[in-house]
Amino acid sequence: MISAAGFAKTWQYIQLFEQGLVCTLSLSALTVIFGFVFALFLALMRMSKIKPLSWFATAYVELFRATPMLVQLFIIYYVVFAKVSLPSFKIFGFIRFERFFPGVVALSMNSGAYLSEIIRAGIQSIDIGQTEASRSLGLSYKQTLFEIVLPQAIKNILPAIANEFVTIIKESSICYTIGVQEIMYAVSSTKGATYRIAEPLLIATAVYFCLTFPTSKIIAYFERRMSRGDKR
Amino acid sequence: MATNDEMIKVTNLCKHYYNGELKALDNVSYSISKGDVVVVIGPSGSGKSTFLRCLNLLEVPTSGSVVFDGIDITQKHYVDEQGNKVKLNIDEHRRKMGMVFQHFNLFPHKTILQNMILAPVKVKRMDPAEATEKAMQLLRRVGLEDRALAYPIQLSGGQKQRVAIVRALMMEPEVMLFDEPTSALDPEMVGEVLSVMTELAQSGMTMVIVTHEMGFAREVGKRVVFMANGRIVEEGTPEQIFDHPQSLRLATFLEKVL
Repeated sequence: MISAAGFAKTWQYIQLFEQGLVCTLSLSALTVIFGFVFALFLALMRMSKIKPLSWFATAYVELFRATPMLVQLFIIYYVVFAKVSLPSFKIFGFIRFERFFPGVVALSMNSGAYLSEIIRAGIQSIDIGQTEASRSLGLSYKQTLFEIVLPQAIKNILPAIANEFVTIIKESSICYTIGVQEIMYAVSSTKGATYRIAEPLLIATAVYFCLTFPTSKIIAYFERRMSRGDKR
Repeated sequence: MATNDEMIKVTNLCKHYYNGELKALDNVSYSISKGDVVVVIGPSGSGKSTFLRCLNLLEVPTSGSVVFDGIDITQKHYVDEQGNKVKLNIDEHRRKMGMVFQHFNLFPHKTILQNMILAPVKVKRMDPAEATEKAMQLLRRVGLEDRALAYPIQLSGGQKQRVAIVRALMMEPEVMLFDEPTSALDPEMVGEVLSVMTELAQSGMTMVIVTHEMGFAREVGKRVVFMANGRIVEEGTPEQIFDHPQSLRLATFLEKVL
């Protein structure tokens, strides 16, 4: 099944994997950024005293956690963006924006739901006394959030965030189904051209691992750095 | 007490929980003047802390008013000197009221120095170098200048509370509120915190202190307020309160704690 000749054949299409790597990286990085910002808003809405905001955030989270990612992606690509004509240009000369963008939207909306619950747990794990001390010094709600609560909350939830980021990198492979040229797209193209499947899959596995492993390591580094205030 | 020196005037303050089933504060009125050192005593659950926390609106009262420097801070708007209706920003008033908590509430992810300069730099836009110099002076005053770069977890309880006091002083508040500042301390550390507070009182700072330290209340307090069941039962000088209690409620309380 796996042979040197097979690898040699596959290797002729290595450029597809390089493009796939760039595409997966872009997809994941944008999803992490948009997903995180979106999740922060969702978490704050959910904890808001304004009931409709809180209801909306709760309903959103429940809906996106309770339905398959594939269904969400298809609804966003085939239904929501069907009516919108996105500019069709290519990022880095090969990533088709009109397919890439709906992918980023779907992934961000999905991971936003998961991340918002993590962020909410993080914020609620911080003693209310921290907020009271900050507000009594005259800092505003926003200053308190960004100077006092979030730095401590994020430190507490870093392992969970690392998990979610790694999940995003892996889940981004689902965008292959709407024709985004990420790593699984490279596998499929190579398979079609060479009639080899094991070797392209092994290469894809290696590429994914090379993305996810450093991600967890980098976050572990930040975790150590942020826990300076914990040492006696 | 001259009324023009009046700093905080509390009128008919109520704080109800569970739709009024629990009255943490029941029609409390009191007036605090500049330079006053008011000590609030009473059994637990009497509303002392709620009263203190209503003064800077950490607790939002159900009804009644808290007038601070002529402005009712429980309202959403106030009228300024020119007669204009202005939206009230509670942050502006809170920065004039320092607060010290039972559990210190230092920011664990920041060093002692960062804890102290945060509010002056962020809120008052003070130059960080200037704020650092001021912080070092204050730390020297409480004998902790060598701990400036330590994190809160590396400090003892007494040290933490001394830092919490000078952190509040960094904002140059008009009044300092103390919410049981020594209740979470080991007994041998109570003295160091009380002596900082005594020194502060002698420097003329206006202070409102909720405490169980009766010796301190008698020694440092100019006025003593005795609260029970959400009401002010008695108020007077330390001599009046401790030596000549008028009510049975206060007499039984003193009997238990002294």
